[in-house]
Amino acid sequence: MLNYNQALPEQTLLQDLQMKEIKPIMKLVIRGRKREFISAIGKSLNIILPTEANTSTQSDKLTALWLSPDEWMIFSNEPNAQETNTYETENLLNKNISKLNLGAIVDVTDQFVMINLKGNKIYELFQTGSPFNFNKFQDKKGAVTQTILAKIDVIVHNQGKNALNLFVRRSFSQHLFSWMNDAASRL
Amino acid sequence: MFIISCPFCGEREQSEFKAGGEAHIIRPKQPTELSDDEWAEYLFMRKNIKGVQFERWNHTHGCRKWFNVVRDTSNDEIKAVYKMGEKPPTV
Repeated sequence: MLNYNQALPEQTLLQDLQMKEIKPIMKLVIRGRKREFISAIGKSLNIILPTEANTSTQSDKLTALWLSPDEWMIFSNEPNAQETNTYETENLLNKNISKLNLGAIVDVTDQFVMINLKGNKIYELFQTGSPFNFNKFQDKKGAVTQTILAKIDVIVHNQGKNALNLFVRRSFSQHLFSWMNDAASRL
Repeated sequence: MFIISCPFCGEREQSEFKAGGEAHIIRPKQPTELSDDEWAEYLFMRKNIKGVQFERWNHTHGCRKWFNVVRDTSNDEIKAVYKMGEKPPTV
């Protein structure tokens, strides 16, 4: 079922803007409300889930993004060494969360494509197609937002100065990437 | 176009949201005992007033949570935003 192909065949390297797909990155969406859920995640993964809106937390291996009061996305900081469909983290969480009815774990590795953007014109690119106000966002390392870019749902994670990760659903990724290339060519 | 302050994510532009119609419509406890007119009243009839209206909104392109908004329909001024299940404020 799962697909090892690169979603985006190319990468863009302009002077002020570099965009490329990073893969293979493990991505999980976890949902739960109970307090035991958050502490069980913390114990299993050694990461504290962000409870403040629009923020993220990071450990050596993983990053957790706040998506909603009861929903987070966890992804691996480094690409996996090999192409695989089984992840240790997912198995661990299935055992410690799903089996105990504390919450839900969903593997969204192939649902989302992660595009890394670097350069000092990334926010100018967003200005051309997003209704979100990035003024505060761009100065805050680790900030997360879910918003619209060119009418497509995206999750944006600020990695620090002029670098960010953008998550987009795989079926939208080629269209969004060609739109971003087009927009970037006219910045 | 106006800005809505989502109770979970903060200020966002209206295009990230979907309007969910009038709020605080109570579903009849015994739908089978209603006449067609009473059922139609519950199902279709909305106030649609010019002025202050209580509405449901969903942050579809953000946190995907439902919440309530008190909006003046004549000038799109938002008087209050409150979460589902909370008591409606007096405006």
